[in-house]
Amino acid sequence: MEQYSILGRIGEGAHGIVFKAKHIETGETVALKKVALRRLEDGIPNQALREIKALQEIEDNQHVVKLKDVFPHGTGFVLVFDFMLSDLSEVIRNSQRPLTPAQVKGYMMMLLKGVAFLHHNNIMHRDLKPANLLISSSGHLKIADFGLARLFSEQGERLYSHQVATRWYRAPELLYGARKYDEGVDLWAVGCIFGELLNSSPLFPGENDIEQLCCVLRLLGTPTQESWPEMLELPDYNKITFKENPAVPLEDIVPDTCPQAIHLLQKFLVYPSNQRCSAGQALLHPYFFSSPLPAHHSELPIPQRGGRPPRQRLQAPPTDFSVDLPLHNSVVHPALLRGHASCL
Amino acid sequence: MFHNSSQRKYWIFASEDELEHMRYKANQKFRNKILESGKAGLSESMFLERHEEDVLFRHYERRLIDFCSAFKPAMPKSVVGTAIMYLRRFYLNNSIMEYHPRIIMLTCAYLSCKVDEFNVSSTQFVGNLLQETPAGQERVLEQILEYELLLIQQLNFHLVVHNPYRPMEGLLIDLKTRYPTLDNPESLRKNADDFLTQTAMTDAGLLFPPSQIALTAVLNSSSRAGLNMESYLTECLGLREDKETLSKMYDSMRRMKTLLKKYEIPKPEEVNVYKQRLERIHAEFASSNNKRKRGYEEDGHVAKEPRMAEEEWTDEDLI
Repeated sequence: MEQYSILGRIGEGAHGIVFKAKHIETGETVALKKVALRRLEDGIPNQALREIKALQEIEDNQHVVKLKDVFPHGTGFVLVFDFMLSDLSEVIRNSQRPLTPAQVKGYMMMLLKGVAFLHHNNIMHRDLKPANLLISSSGHLKIADFGLARLFSEQGERLYSHQVATRWYRAPELLYGARKYDEGVDLWAVGCIFGELLNSSPLFPGENDIEQLCCVLRLLGTPTQESWPEMLELPDYNKITFKENPAVPLEDIVPDTCPQAIHLLQKFLVYPSNQRCSAGQALLHPYFFSSPLPAHHSELPIPQRGGRPPRQRLQAPPTDFSVDLPLHNSVVHPALLRGHASCL
Repeated sequence: MFHNSSQRKYWIFASEDELEHMRYKANQKFRNKILESGKAGLSESMFLERHEEDVLFRHYERRLIDFCSAFKPAMPKSVVGTAIMYLRRFYLNNSIMEYHPRIIMLTCAYLSCKVDEFNVSSTQFVGNLLQETPAGQERVLEQILEYELLLIQQLNFHLVVHNPYRPMEGLLIDLKTRYPTLDNPESLRKNADDFLTQTAMTDAGLLFPPSQIALTAVLNSSSRAGLNMESYLTECLGLREDKETLSKMYDSMRRMKTLLKKYEIPKPEEVNVYKQRLERIHAEFASSNNKRKRGYEEDGHVAKEPRMAEEEWTDEDLI
């Protein structure tokens, strides 16, 4: 702890206070998340263990927040993260005019890169939402808050909790009480976030769990045996029935949106989890390769914490550009594009 | 993935000698600490020697396994494997004279349940201590929670343990799909499982990657069944041309088998003698450790009023 000088308080996390601090030796600004062992019954909270577990075992990724260190302090311990200026919910809330199509594309691309990386590492985040997508001073989006993250493809038939994800971003199978699910729950949330970026307001703002399901069904239509065969086996399927209603066309839900965006959104917001488009596949969608191209991270707004209007940037922000990374990391293999671009 | 895991980076050691050296240092550290305290009537003979510590360690490790196998609801193998690995990692740098294995082993199991998402409540966990009264169980729970932070620190916050169980499933699948020479790969399972159970009680997990342990288990099981699977290594795993890797692999397998052969079940009469000495050491010296821990009363009794934690974590830190 002596290595850091506290600069201020950022907020209250799920398991303790988060401070802004400076690493004295390097001058780096960091976020310190303190985990206090206050509640006696169960000891170290599961969320903190999950966070350490998920973030310690993966390599660095530009779009996933980095756990720089963990150390004991007093009666608990401290997690050290990169300091982030803002998060996507503030971006959505504070932008004075709707985000431009290029900006939405830029955010979606970074989000999908992060999600693809996590899923490749067998990590389900289970709580993707704008507030957990942090924005760095250079405009990069980084996925944070791994308090619900879980390693999947485990041996055996272990059941998961369905009490995960923040309600508005919770996949329909979870709303029906599924105990066996997969990374599709993250892809549903990605779809919800996509819609929210396009509309500047949440797609499914349910007030409670039942109403949440209503919200989804009202827009996407009541699922049928054909459109969602697995539904019949979900624990709470028989507990609630809804009046049948047809789907509202997505064009009406996210108006003034280009057809490609709607096409991609459609691929996330489908009932059967296994039919949702994987993050890796989504990155190859023509949406990202057509005009306007995704905005560069330096063209994205960075609101200050606390809701002040986005500052005007006079000079170019520092970039995360690294000359050490091998080139092929950022180049798409042409074979993957073949189905989408006729020139290849 | 094991490849970029903390296990590979920090918890795989070069040799048995290195491990022994670490344990020797932990033993010395405790002796020196006590001797330096200058208490009257101290003598070197009170302490446990390394080999004596080892007997007791093996004893408590077996008790941990017994506890886990009798656990209700049934504990998945990987949870047990992780608990054992925590115990071994913990006592690499700490002497059993410093921290009593009776409570550390339970703390390992408790943490492993949480880390591996085998969700049991704390009451349910200690409810498995059948010989204890409810009041006794509560006391144990308090102790577990008291040691949890120490444990996680000593593990350097490296929580994920890669056990050989999954690689073994993978190998069996691979044998079924790519190695038709073998009639019934499933028949290897029983002996391979036993092999893994045995190796968990050795240092194998601190010396070899889990996939190699699993492969050794499968090959060992096949050779016991009188089958020769060398062509699996040379053909399916592509080691024919890579003589160096192949010979390293054989060497690792030999070392694992030696570890197994060397394993001795601790003798009850030895255990009893050393245990008495361990209890005396803890009664006389170890209480000084307990005080170090957060705001607790002596005798591992938890202060019921809110811990100092409360103040310590608030804005006071805003200097």
